[in-house]
Parts: sequence; structure tokens; C-alpha cells
Amino acid sequence: MGSSTRVLVAMSGGVDSSLAAAMLKQQGHDVVGVTLHLWDAEGEDKVGRCCAPEDRDDARRTCELLGVPHYVIDERQAFRSQVVDPFIAQNLAGQTPIPCVACNQHVKLTRLWQLAQSFGATALATGHYARIVPTADGSVDLLRGVDPGKDQSYFLYGVPQAVLRNLLLPLGELHKHDARLLAKEFGLPNWSKPDSQELCFVPDGDVRGFLRRHAPAAGAPGDIIDETGTVLGQHQGVEGFTVGQRRGIGIPGPTPRYVLRVIHDSRQVVVGSAKALARAALEAQSVVWTSSRPERGFTGQVRIRSHHTAAEAWVTPTEAGFSAEFVTPQIAVAPGQAAVVYTGERVIGGGFIV
Amino acid sequence: MLTAGGTEACNLGVLGLLEAQPRRAGAHAVASAIEHPAVAEPLLQQQRVAQIELSWLPVVQGLPPSPGTLRAAITPATQLVAVQWVNHETGTLLPVRDYAAVSREARVPCFIDATQALGKLPVNVTELGADAVAFAAHKLGGPAGAGALWVRRGVQLGSRMLGGAQERGRRAGTPDVLAQVGFGVACEHAAQRVAAQPRLAALRDRLETELVALGAILNASATDRVATVSNSSWRGWRGEALVAALDLEGIACSSGAACSSGTSEPSPVLRAMYPDEPWRAGSALRLSFGVETTESDTHSLLQALRKVLSRPAG
Repeated sequence: MGSSTRVLVAMSGGVDSSLAAAMLKQQGHDVVGVTLHLWDAEGEDKVGRCCAPEDRDDARRTCELLGVPHYVIDERQAFRSQVVDPFIAQNLAGQTPIPCVACNQHVKLTRLWQLAQSFGATALATGHYARIVPTADGSVDLLRGVDPGKDQSYFLYGVPQAVLRNLLLPLGELHKHDARLLAKEFGLPNWSKPDSQELCFVPDGDVRGFLRRHAPAAGAPGDIIDETGTVLGQHQGVEGFTVGQRRGIGIPGPTPRYVLRVIHDSRQVVVGSAKALARAALEAQSVVWTSSRPERGFTGQVRIRSHHTAAEAWVTPTEAGFSAEFVTPQIAVAPGQAAVVYTGERVIGGGFIV
Repeated sequence: MLTAGGTEACNLGVLGLLEAQPRRAGAHAVASAIEHPAVAEPLLQQQRVAQIELSWLPVVQGLPPSPGTLRAAITPATQLVAVQWVNHETGTLLPVRDYAAVSREARVPCFIDATQALGKLPVNVTELGADAVAFAAHKLGGPAGAGALWVRRGVQLGSRMLGGAQERGRRAGTPDVLAQVGFGVACEHAAQRVAAQPRLAALRDRLETELVALGAILNASATDRVATVSNSSWRGWRGEALVAALDLEGIACSSGAACSSGTSEPSPVLRAMYPDEPWRAGSALRLSFGVETTESDTHSLLQALRKVLSRPAG
């Protein structure tokens, strides 16, 4: 890539995207910073809330320091309709959604690439910990970031190839610790800012509270039952229950109980032992294959939540998506979460667990 | 009365005129649907805290409400008519002299927001016939932070600032003398600005012919307006993206209105003017010029615009 190409850098106000901008600027790119305004957090929980004015100020300060332009673009409407509303609906249906995937796929990266083109930029950059490498056929592969503790490829599988092809991920080769040191060296104002941990629009982590505020249908009581159908107690709404969850079930007993599944129609939450949580296989739908759909089954590794160590599995493309048969049964296979298929470092594709 | 800018002058005009009158049952105020927030927000606050009823006169397709529309909106409970002379986003001229006459006939106090008129139109406050008229220095090349409210002799006005005898006790606080002297100097040059309007109108019209050729739809261009603004919409574009793309090419312009959360939102003026065409507000481009603007500036603008429009719409 030539030295003075214009690159649009997606800036959240966090240290990673700020560092991405600083690195690209140092490499001689014509950097343009853009912050998407996605949500106005409510309540008094100001720390770490999504799209807080403070975060936009941090992004702006970084751009001022680097001497590059910075723009804020309002995408609140798209974020609500394509990320938050489906998140609410899935929760009410007893699923465990992963809104970051939909956000990257439908709102953030696609919109940013569209903006990049309208700004005359030839590439889009983010601070994600993942890598993009060209392949022989002219497409690109999405690889894990080199820091296994920080790898964010799980959240990016849904990004269309047309966007991936123009995506720069300068932090993919870095470990988080080194990234912070580098940010400090650059003198970035937010180098020590804590990482965001929770969903950006539920910064206090209280998903149930969020749903109660945003979904009138939340809080409909139902039975907690065991695998034989015996009623063990009551719950105050299926939303917020996640397969594999142990805390917050509220039924004392000699052995720990876990949520095994949620039955939406009867509003029942089924609980049982850790052993009963194990699943030998899963089905995924709404699948995106990073380059092309595999023609036949293959051995891969499947990651079923963001902090899961990808498990060896036989993956078969199906009409609806794919199925994965694990070599070792996996616990807490939660419908709504993303199942992402890797072969080694490479992301092959992903979809939502049915 | 000297104020710290146009916003204060508008707030003082609206709230001061309301406050000075004994509150009637079902108290009511009338304004146009395209008022500047410095007028609209105090009215909305009075609606919330004092249960004042509000009528917003429609400005459909950019057509200003007729004096008859205002007359029909006034009720025995009406205690204020507050209207802008020139719209801040489209330059639309409203017949404020007629509004003032209608108000006087109905014995309703009339406030006129003339912040956008000074320096573009000849202004004679006594001829306007209103009770209070607001101005801002930076709209005619003066310093920001200086404004004024003209109040007709004998008109009662409530105070918003208390604690000093300045402005006969009606606006306490020491004025920013330097800024106000700057305002005075700007007013001395106002006639030159007004004289430049025909040249700017011709420049704006030539520019708009080119904009239309590039695919623009003009907003509120069919009625009388001041010469210093061109407001157009660009189907397929988001206004803020177009503004950012032009900024990268060295053109400073704007689209919507600043919103309280720190980003911009689609223009409330265009939403009010074109309620059935929300894309107009969403894709708006507002180009403003002044006496310094030349033909070569508009050529640079068109060059930048052609470059940006050759790319995929953002």
C-alpha cells in the first residue's frame, strides 16, 4: 500500500483504536478518525457506558494529538433496530444473544466501510485483535490475533468479505500488554483506560435490569423444573437465563444446579447437574463463511462463546448452516451465541447456535 | 438592553414578555414551527412548568404562515406571539411586520427574533411594530457573546438576571464592554453588508443552478429568502457524511442541528417544512456565505463537491 493512502480509522475512544490510529499515522497514512454514535446510555452508571460523550472526547483528543481530522457519525437508529431490538427479542425468547457479532456485521464495519469510500479512503482500520491475510485467489483470510487472551476474531466472522478485503487490523500482531506500552510511548491520552468488559449498551452488566426498562414483556413469571418435569420453584422471567448459568437460579440443594435449557413457549427454565449440561453436537444457522462455503465436512475447531477454547469437532455444512459434532462433549452450548469454526488460526465461518 | 448574545436576548424576550403579564387561565402562546431553539426551548419549558399552551404555525414546503393563519391561531387566552424574521437554516423570510400588526390588533405582545436579519435586511425596530426584538453581534461580523434585546418604550418585561441595576434593573450584570463595542462597530458597517446582498443573491443563484445539475433538490427556495444561505438535499447521502467528506476537501459547511448528546441530528427546520419527506432533513447540506465570499470560492466548492459525489454515497 502506498504511503499516503487515506485510511478511515474507527475510533471508540478506547486505547486499542487510538493506538491503531497512531500506528497508521506513523506509517505515513492519511488518517481520518470516525466515531460512531450508537447509543445514549441511560441511568447514572456513567463509567464505561457506551458512546458516552467522554469516549467521543477521548477519540477527539487522540485525533488532535495525532493532528488528524475526527468526525462523529450518528448511527443510533441502525444500532437500535439491528442490534438492540433483536437482542431484546432474543432474550425474551430465552436465548443468549451475542449482539457484538450483529453490530460488526450489520452496523459498525459495513457502515464504516461505506463512509470510508465516501471520504475517499482506500482502507478501513479498527483496533481489533485479529489478523487479515491475503490468499492466493485474491480474497482474504481472517486469522486469530496473536494474543490468545485478547483474540477478537470470534466477533468478526460475520463481516462480509468485501469489507474484510479493505480492513486493516494493526493490533493483530500485538499482545495487549505491549499495545498499552506502545500507546504510552505514543503519549496517547487514554493509554491506561480500562478495557470495556460488558456489552457496550449495558455497561453495568445488568441485562435483566436493562430488559425490564426496555421490554414491557419482560418479567413474566414461570416454573423452574428439573429434567423429569418436577417443579422446583418460580422465576421472574426467562430473559437473562443462560444455558450453563449456575448463579441466580435461587433453588438451594445439595449439588450445584445449572440452567440446561429454556423452553420459550411454556416459559419453563430446566435445571440439572453439570453432567447434564454436556452436548455432543450443535446446529448453527444464519451462517457466514469467510471466503467460500466448504463443499464437504471437515475437521475444525469450534468456539461456542467468546472466552471458550475452541473445541475439536467434525463440521458439516448443511442447508441451514452447519452442524458440529464435538470430539469431547462441550458444556453450556447456549442458543443465540455464535459458533465460530476455525482451522488452526484461520476463521472458516460462523453462525448462531440453534 | 445589552445581553451576552442572541440566545439570551431571545430567552429574555420570550420569558420576559410572558412573565410581565398576569397569567390568564389556559394561557397560550403562538410561534412558527421553525423557530430557533433559543425561542422554541423557552416556550417548551413554559409549557412544561407553567402549563402554557402552544400553537406552532406550520411552514409546509417552506411557505411562511400567512398573517391570516396567525390571526386564526390567536385566542382570547393568547399572551405571546414569538416569531423569527429570517430562518436560521434556509434563510426563509417571514412577514413579521404583518405578524406584529395582527398581534397589536389582538392586543397580544409580539416578540421578533431578528438575529438572522441584522446585516442582511434593513432593520428599523420602531417600524416593525413589535414589542421586543432580539439581535446577535456575531451574525453580522461582530464578536460572539454580544447581543441585544430592543424593547418598546412602556412595555413591561420580567427579569431573568437579578442582582444589579444595569439596564434599569431588567438585566443585571456588567456587560462585556469590549464585545459590545465590537457589536456597535459591526452595526456601523451593517449597511455595507445589506448592500452586498444583491451580489450574493446572484452568486447563490448561479451556485444553486450548478447544485441542481449535480443532483441537489433545493429546500425552501421558492419563497423570499436572504441571500447568504443555500439549503439543499442529496438523495442517497447522509447529511453528516457529506459534510465530513467536504470538510476533508477543505469546505466547511453543515447539515442538521447540534443535538444535546454531542452529535448532530437531522434538521428540525426541514423536518417541519417537509414532514412527508424525511430524507430531505436526513441528507441536507447547508452552505452559508458572507460578504467575503467570491465566485472563486463557489468554484472551489463545486470542484470539491464533484470530487465527493463521484464516490459511493456515504
